Amino acid sequence: MSTPDAAASSIEPLGIVARRGQLLPLKTKDEVRAALETYRVYVVEVPAKHANAVKDVIQAALPDLRTSDFGHLRRVVQFKFLPPHLQKTFSPPSRLPRGDEEEEPNVSEDALAEELDAVRFFLVSPTRYIQHADLLLALRQKPPFDIAAAPPRILYATVPALAPTSAEQAARWSIDYWPIAYKNTNPYGPHPSLVTRNTAEIQDEVGHWLALAKATGGQICGLGLGENIGCVVVDKTSSVSKVIAVTGDCRWRSPTGGPMPKEGHGNVMAHAVERAIAMVAKKRLRVARTDPNLLDRQLFCDSPLTDLERHFFAMDNLLPNGYLCVDLDIYITHEPCVMCSMAILHSRFRRCVIGRRMPLTGGLSADVTIKKDNGGIKPGNGLGHGIFWRPSELNWKFLAWDWVDEDNTDAISSIKDTMHV
Amino acid sequence: MKTIKTAAMDADTRAYHERFMRDAIAMAELALKSDETPVGCVFVKDGEIIGRGGNETNRTLNGTRHAEFVAIAGILEKNPMGVLKETDLYVTVEPCVMCASMLRQYGVRAVYFGCWNERFGGTGGVLNIHSDPSVDTPMPVYGGIFREEAIMLLRKFYVQENEKAPEPKQKKTRELKTEIAPTDIHAPKS
Repeated sequence: MSTPDAAASSIEPLGIVARRGQLLPLKTKDEVRAALETYRVYVVEVPAKHANAVKDVIQAALPDLRTSDFGHLRRVVQFKFLPPHLQKTFSPPSRLPRGDEEEEPNVSEDALAEELDAVRFFLVSPTRYIQHADLLLALRQKPPFDIAAAPPRILYATVPALAPTSAEQAARWSIDYWPIAYKNTNPYGPHPSLVTRNTAEIQDEVGHWLALAKATGGQICGLGLGENIGCVVVDKTSSVSKVIAVTGDCRWRSPTGGPMPKEGHGNVMAHAVERAIAMVAKKRLRVARTDPNLLDRQLFCDSPLTDLERHFFAMDNLLPNGYLCVDLDIYITHEPCVMCSMAILHSRFRRCVIGRRMPLTGGLSADVTIKKDNGGIKPGNGLGHGIFWRPSELNWKFLAWDWVDEDNTDAISSIKDTMHV
Repeated sequence: MKTIKTAAMDADTRAYHERFMRDAIAMAELALKSDETPVGCVFVKDGEIIGRGGNETNRTLNGTRHAEFVAIAGILEKNPMGVLKETDLYVTVEPCVMCASMLRQYGVRAVYFGCWNERFGGTGGVLNIHSDPSVDTPMPVYGGIFREEAIMLLRKFYVQENEKAPEPKQKKTRELKTEIAPTDIHAPKS
């Protein structure tokens, strides 16, 4: 039995139909930063034949310049490879000493093209390294500009400060800023090949698990105990996926077990993710032949309450001696709040997929929300926390994806925008 | 809003807060005796302790059973949710990112803590979940009450073995350091 079949056989007998759609990897905090930061650079127009000579002049003038800091930017660029807005600003090229001085100036289109072929646009350095006047002086002291009648043209461009994190981004930046060299690495997040491999590993099953998460959330919401939010924990370490826990949100469940009046945010500890983590822990205690109800408290709401929750909780399908949620994946109908995002990180999950982003409350997205003057926030792309991949600050990291339904069935959320999931 | 250092408080105010931090430390000591990370807390309403908690992550195999969760689960068995809005938290170690978000969602009135948590602190140690843009009102936070005691408890724990963790690290050679420099770990970064 292949894995998608295993996924199907887990949910089809329960009358649940898989969702169809696509996975989108979430951007990490550093990737978002890398995508936003730019600086100004000097560009000098040089005769093609003299590009190397100019390089030596720059090196001598700027001994502290570390070209590796902008290794993602092409150093020497032909006119035809410049982005359109720079072609407009940089054209037409000045007459340059090209070693064939006897040639007469010509204004025909062919001649212009030829002229453009004969020049290169040389990226000197970020502007902070040298004053415009000093750069000009340095260039005029050495060939080819020492004998030219006109001074060298020093131009400006705005460039991305950090290396691109994907081939797509490199292609986009090459049009928006400056020709980019992409080296198929990602210093600001998971390596592209890691993301590709993991996406391929789970993509045939995601629609099944998100449908199961939705059904679970619906059941508990139907009882009036919580919001329409659900999640599914899956063990995909072997060839056949196993559902370890499914839970819905339980924030409106009173300490006595019934629905309670909806005031404030309700019982925050009973969010679907917290309950799922608790049920994984209970299964571990059960496998270890310890009382699963050890230190349990009513307010955690971590006993199964619906048919779907009971169905999967009853299965003894966890291997013994596991630790927290290491190697497990979690699928959630909505982006988890900051508390639940950090709970996932604390629990050391391997992968996380969200069915819908929550820009005002979600803890995973690294994109930033726009702040309002009164200190509040208005809908942007997110709170900017990126609590899934901040390895320099937090002691665990995991892969995270957003999901886009093929037929836009997720266009309307089942919950309010200001809800903490 | 920056986390306020309690060193700036006057003597009477400081004494009031230290009284409750002593109770939080007692809970942390209890946790240490149960082979748990020694973090303890108490919740105070109108000058009375209404809830206590210690870390229970090792015994429950649940990485989210922090002292704050344990205490609130006890409080809400007997009190309505709204009570937390009139309640202050005293906790030996800065709340983590998860707990900081939980406390702010419940609307806890203020947080007083001992030492900073530079691995995943949520109120100034790593992130600023108490004051960052959110749909909830910001939460005032005060740090540094009995910081040295809180650090010593953590150090005592770190020289013990954590049997539940995978591939236990070699701790036999570790020694208990007793000196605490003002700029030592678990101090605010700024």
